[in-house]
Amino acid sequence: MEIPYTFTARKDTGLFNSKIGIWLFLASEVMLFGGLFSGYVFLRVYADYPWPERALPVLPGLINTFVLIGSSVTVVFAWASLKMRQWRRFQFFMGITIACAVVFMILKGMEYNAKWHHQAVRMDDFTILEGHTHKATLDEHGHLHGIHHGDEVPGGAFPQNVVVVETEEINLTLVRAHDPYVEDILEKAMARGATPVLKDDAFFYGAPKDMRFGATAKDIEPAERAEGEEKLRKAHSSGNHTAVKFGKKSLFIPKGTPLTTKLLDQAEEVFLDARSNNGRVRTDALRREWKRVRSEFPDEKRDYKLAKEIKITPELLTGRVAEAPSALTFAFKEPVALHFKRSVIREGDGTSRLKDDTILKGKVASSPLGLSVDAVDLRWVAQRAEEQGKDPDAVIAKLWIMENPGFKEIWERHSAQLASLEEHLTEKYGLDEHGNPKRVPTENDRYRIDWQDLVAFHRAHEKHLDADSPEVEDLRPGMMEGITGPDHKNPEFQHAFFSIEVPNEKVAFESLFTPKWNHYYAIYFTITGLHGLHVVGGALVLSYFLFFSKGLYRSNPEWLANRVEIGGLFWHFVDLVWIFLFPILYLM
Amino acid sequence: MSAAAEVHASDGHDDHGGDHHELGFWQKYIFSTDHKTIGIQYGITALLFLAFGFYLMMVMRWSIAYPHEPLPGWMSWFLSDEWKSRWLQDGKVTGETYNMFGAMHGTIMVFLGIVPLGFAAFGNFVTPLQIGAIDMAFPKLNMVSYWLYFLGGLVMCGSFFVESGAAKSGWTNYSPLAGFADSQIVNQLLAGQTQWLLGMVFLISSSLLGAVNFLTTIINLRARGLTWMRLPFFVWAMLVTGFLLLLAFPPLEVAAIMQLMDRTTGSSFFMPSGLYSKTAGLLEASGSGSPLLYQHLFWFLGHPEVYVLLLPAIACVAEIIPTNTRKPLWGYKSMVYGVIVLGFLSFIVWAHHMYLTGMGPVVSNFFQTTTVLISIPSVILLTSMLISLWGGSIRFNLPMLWAAAFIPMFGIGGLTGLPLAFNLVDLHLHDTYYVIGHFHYVVAPGVLFGLFAGIYHWYPKITGRHMNTFLGHLHFWPSLIFMNLLFFPMLVQGMAGFHRRWYNGGDAYLMEKAEGANIFGNTVAEWLWLNPVMSWAAWLLAASQIPFFINFWSSIWFGKKIKNDNPWDATTLEWATPTPPPHGNFTFDVNVYRGPYEYSREDHEGDFYPQWEEPKRDEPADEPAEKPVS
Repeated sequence: MEIPYTFTARKDTGLFNSKIGIWLFLASEVMLFGGLFSGYVFLRVYADYPWPERALPVLPGLINTFVLIGSSVTVVFAWASLKMRQWRRFQFFMGITIACAVVFMILKGMEYNAKWHHQAVRMDDFTILEGHTHKATLDEHGHLHGIHHGDEVPGGAFPQNVVVVETEEINLTLVRAHDPYVEDILEKAMARGATPVLKDDAFFYGAPKDMRFGATAKDIEPAERAEGEEKLRKAHSSGNHTAVKFGKKSLFIPKGTPLTTKLLDQAEEVFLDARSNNGRVRTDALRREWKRVRSEFPDEKRDYKLAKEIKITPELLTGRVAEAPSALTFAFKEPVALHFKRSVIREGDGTSRLKDDTILKGKVASSPLGLSVDAVDLRWVAQRAEEQGKDPDAVIAKLWIMENPGFKEIWERHSAQLASLEEHLTEKYGLDEHGNPKRVPTENDRYRIDWQDLVAFHRAHEKHLDADSPEVEDLRPGMMEGITGPDHKNPEFQHAFFSIEVPNEKVAFESLFTPKWNHYYAIYFTITGLHGLHVVGGALVLSYFLFFSKGLYRSNPEWLANRVEIGGLFWHFVDLVWIFLFPILYLM
Repeated sequence: MSAAAEVHASDGHDDHGGDHHELGFWQKYIFSTDHKTIGIQYGITALLFLAFGFYLMMVMRWSIAYPHEPLPGWMSWFLSDEWKSRWLQDGKVTGETYNMFGAMHGTIMVFLGIVPLGFAAFGNFVTPLQIGAIDMAFPKLNMVSYWLYFLGGLVMCGSFFVESGAAKSGWTNYSPLAGFADSQIVNQLLAGQTQWLLGMVFLISSSLLGAVNFLTTIINLRARGLTWMRLPFFVWAMLVTGFLLLLAFPPLEVAAIMQLMDRTTGSSFFMPSGLYSKTAGLLEASGSGSPLLYQHLFWFLGHPEVYVLLLPAIACVAEIIPTNTRKPLWGYKSMVYGVIVLGFLSFIVWAHHMYLTGMGPVVSNFFQTTTVLISIPSVILLTSMLISLWGGSIRFNLPMLWAAAFIPMFGIGGLTGLPLAFNLVDLHLHDTYYVIGHFHYVVAPGVLFGLFAGIYHWYPKITGRHMNTFLGHLHFWPSLIFMNLLFFPMLVQGMAGFHRRWYNGGDAYLMEKAEGANIFGNTVAEWLWLNPVMSWAAWLLAASQIPFFINFWSSIWFGKKIKNDNPWDATTLEWATPTPPPHGNFTFDVNVYRGPYEYSREDHEGDFYPQWEEPKRDEPADEPAEKPVS
C-alpha cells in the first residue's frame, strides 16, 4: 500500500504531501515564535526596572547571523545539486551547512557558559553589582574566608555566596526531607568532625494489625503506653526493631541515634503507616457519627447546621489511633558551622529553613558575599529616585557602595568622564531653542559602569592620564578582548576590577546571569534556547540526509531532493527566526 | 491517466511499499499506522479518560452536597489507605483535594477526553474514508501523535501519586498561583504542577502533529472528483478544527514553556514584583512579570479550543441528520462558509474571558463586539441543522435520537453564553456557577451528545454490527434527564451568587456568616437545597452510562449484524468500503460524481444517490462535469 503524492505533486494543488505538511508546520512555528516575541514586547513595555539594553556581546551574535545566512544559501545549493543529480556536490554543500550549524551551537554554548559563570547581586538599596564570586572556605572555627585572585584555592572551596548557620539542631520533616540535602548536611558535618544525633527518644506506635476489630481507644491509656514503650525498648535492645505488640510497623529510636537517610526512610514508612491507620479509624468514626446525627435531627436538611453537632470522641473510635511523630530533631554536641547556597535557605533569627522544610536551629554567622566586581549599575537607583521625586545624584552619593574607597575613586573618574562627554555632545550638536543641549548622555552612560569602563579607567590610571582626557575612550578594550564578556582570568583585568564583600543583610536578590536574574535574561534564554533546539533538530535531520540517504538517492533521487527541500524550508525558517532575534536581543 | 494508477505504477520503485506479509499483533493493534486502528485507539483511550474525569467530578459533587461527611465507600474503596490519609481529612474531601480534582477534571475532560474523542478519534476514523483516501498522508506521524497523547495522559494522571499531588490551580493554570503552587518541592520534576506543564507539552505536540496530518490529508488526498464543495460537512469541520489546533495551540505552548521556566529556573515571566505568600513569605524572584500575559496566551488558545471541542460534534450531527431525515443538509454552503468564518472569528474573541482583569474599557468593548459577532456563524450552523429536520421523514434510530437532542441542548449552551459576552453582565456572573452551567451545556449535553450520536452512527461500520436498541434507549433517556437536572440548576445558583470554587458548595460560607448576610441577600441559602439534587443527578448520570458500557463491548460480538456495507443507506464515501474497512480501505477505484447529501432526488430511483455511484448514461449531469483530478 502506497500513500499517493509522497514525492510527486498532485496536479490540482501542485504540491506533494510533505510540502503541504512543512508549510503548515511552519505556520504553527510562526505562531510559537510569534507568541514568544509578543511576550518579549509585553514584558519589555511593562517592565518596572531598567531594561538591560545591549547587554549581550555583539560579536558572537553577529558571527552567528552570517553563519546561519551562509548555511541557508548552501542548503539551497545542496538541494540544487541533488536536482542536477550531482551527489558529490550535494555532499559538499550539505557538509558546509551542517558545519555552520555546529559553529553556531559552539558560539552559543560559549555565550551561555559565560553567563552561567557570571554573578549578579541586587542590594537592598537597588545598587546592582556584577562580577565573579570569590572562592571561600570555612576555617576550623567555622569562620568564612574569601580567597582572592592569586591565592591558592584549597580543595573543598566553594563560591563565596553562601549562608553560614552555626547549627545546633536540625528538625527534619519525615515525608518532606530531601535525601540529597540530608546527605549534604551529613557530609559537611562529618568534615567538621561532628555527628547529629537524635535529641529525644522517638516512639512510633505503628498501626495495629487488628485495628478494625479488636482494640479500642482505651488501649492508648497512659499505663499501657508505658508498658508498650518498655516493650519497644526491650525489642530494640534485643535487636528486634519491629516490636509486635504495637502493630506490624512499630519502631523505637533511642535518643542519641546518629542521623542517616536510612533511619529517616524507616521512620517515614512507619509514620505513613500510622497516618493511614488513623485516617481509617477516624473516617469510620465520622461515618457513624453522621448516621447518629441524621437520625437525631431528621428534619434538619442543612448540613452546615448539622455539622455543629458532629464530634469525634475517643469512645467512637473502634480502632486504636496510632501515634508517630511527623518530624525528628537531631542535635549537635556543639554548634557546627554549615554553609548553604543562598537559593535553598531562608535565613531567620535563630531558625533558618531549607527548601524541604528542614529547620536549622542556630544563629546565622557573618557570611558576606565576596565578589570581584566588573560592572556597577545604578540605573535602578536613579529610576527609583526619580519616581520618588528625589535627586538621583544625591541618592547615589549616600549609597553603601560609596563607602568603598576603590569604588569611590572609580565613580569620580566616571563622573569626570561623563562631564566631558556632556560637554562634547553640546559642542558637537549644539543647543535647541530652549537652550537645552540637543543630545545628552543616555541613562546607560550616566549610571552604568561596565567592564570596558573599568579596564579603560585602569589603563588610564597606569598611563597617568586625567579622567576627563578624551584618550580614555580609546583605551576601552575592543571586541576581540572579551568575545563573550569580561575575562576574569586576564591579569590586567583582574587589577581593573575591584573586590568587595557585601554583608548578608545587604543582599536583596542574587543570581547568576540565568533566567532567574531578570526577565530580559529569561526571555533571552527561552527564545535562544528554543531556537537552539530547532537548530540542533534541523541539523540532525540534514545530517541524516547527508550520511544515510545514499540508498534512497540511488533508488529515487527525486524523493531525496524533495526531502532536502523540506529540510531546507525548515532551515530557512530557523534562519529567519534568528534574523529577528539578533536585533531585539543584541542590538536594541 | 488517473492519480491512483500512476501511484500504483510507481510501486516498483519502492522496496518498503505494499504489505506483502501479515502484520503481527503489536503492529496491527498497538503500534499500528492504520488510521482506523489509531482512531479506535484514540476513541477508547479518550472514553477511559472521560470516565476518569467524570469520577473526579463525582467526588467533587460529594464535597459540594455533603461537605462535612466522609466520602462514601463506593467512591473511595479502591483508593489506598495511604492516599486517603494524605488527601482526605477524616474521610472528608479537603479544599486542597477539591482543587486538585477540579483542576484535573477540567484538564482531563478537555485535553484528554473530548478533543481526542471528537477530533482525533472520529477525525482519524472517518475523514480519510469520507474523502476516499487509503490512509492519512503521514501514517507514522499519526502513530506518533497517538503515543504522545498517551504519554501526556500518563504524565498527567501519574501526578496524582506524587507527594505534592496533581495540579491544583484550576484547569486554566493561572499564574502567579500556578507559578508558585508546589514550589516547596525541591525536585520540581516531581511536583504535580510541573508535571501538568510537561503533560501539556506532550499533548500540544500531539495535537500539532495531528493537525498537520489532517490538513495535509484533506488538502491532498481527496479522491478524484471530490471537489471542495462536494466534501461532506464533516470534512469541512475537521479542516477548520485542524487549522484552529495548528494556530491556536502554539501560544499555549509558549505559555506552558514560560511557566515551566518560572517553576524550574526561577524566572519571573508571570510573577509580578513584590509577590507575597503566607507560606513562602516574600517571593524570592526578580519580579516584574505579568500575570496578564499568561492569561492572554492561555485564552488565545482557550477560545479556539471551545470550537475545537464543538466542531467535531456538529460535524457528526451534520452527517446524521441528512442520513436519517432522508433529505439534503439544508444550507450546506452557508454552513461551510459559516464554519470558516467561525474559525477566523474564534481567534479574536479570547479576551472576553478576561473582562475582570482590568484590561480597560476599550479592549473590553472590542472583544465584546467580536464575541457578539461570532454568535452569527454559530446560529447559522444550528439553524441550518434545525431547518434540515423540517418536512423530513425522520427515522428515530439511536444516532438520530442523540443528534436530535444535541440541537436544543447545544442551543441552551449557546444562548446562555450571550449574557456572558457583555462585560457589564459578566461582572456579576464571572466565576459563578452560571458560567459553569453555560459551558457544561455546551460540552456535556452539547458536544458529548453529538459524539455519542457519532459512536452509534459509525459503530456498524467499525464492527459490522449494530448496537443494541433497548440498551441504547436505556442510555439515552436517563442521560438526557440527568444532564438537565445536573446543569440547569447551575444557571439558577450562579445567578444567585454561587461562586464556582466553593469547595463545600457554599456551606462554609454560610457557617461563617449569618444567613442572609451576603451581598446578594440570602439567595445563597435559598438555593442551597439544589446542591444534593444536582449531585444525585451527577451520580445517576454516571449510572446511566453503564448500559452504554455494556452495549459498547457486548455488541462487538452479540450485536445485530448489518444487512450490507451501507446499513443506514447513506451517501458518503465511508459507506462504500467493506465492513470493517480493510487496510487500504477501498476495494475499487474511487470516483466521486456528486455532492454529499443527495437524498430523495426526484430524478433518481431509491431515496439516496451515493457520491460514488456512476451516473447512468442518459442522465443529465447536475453540475458541469469537473475535470478529473489527476
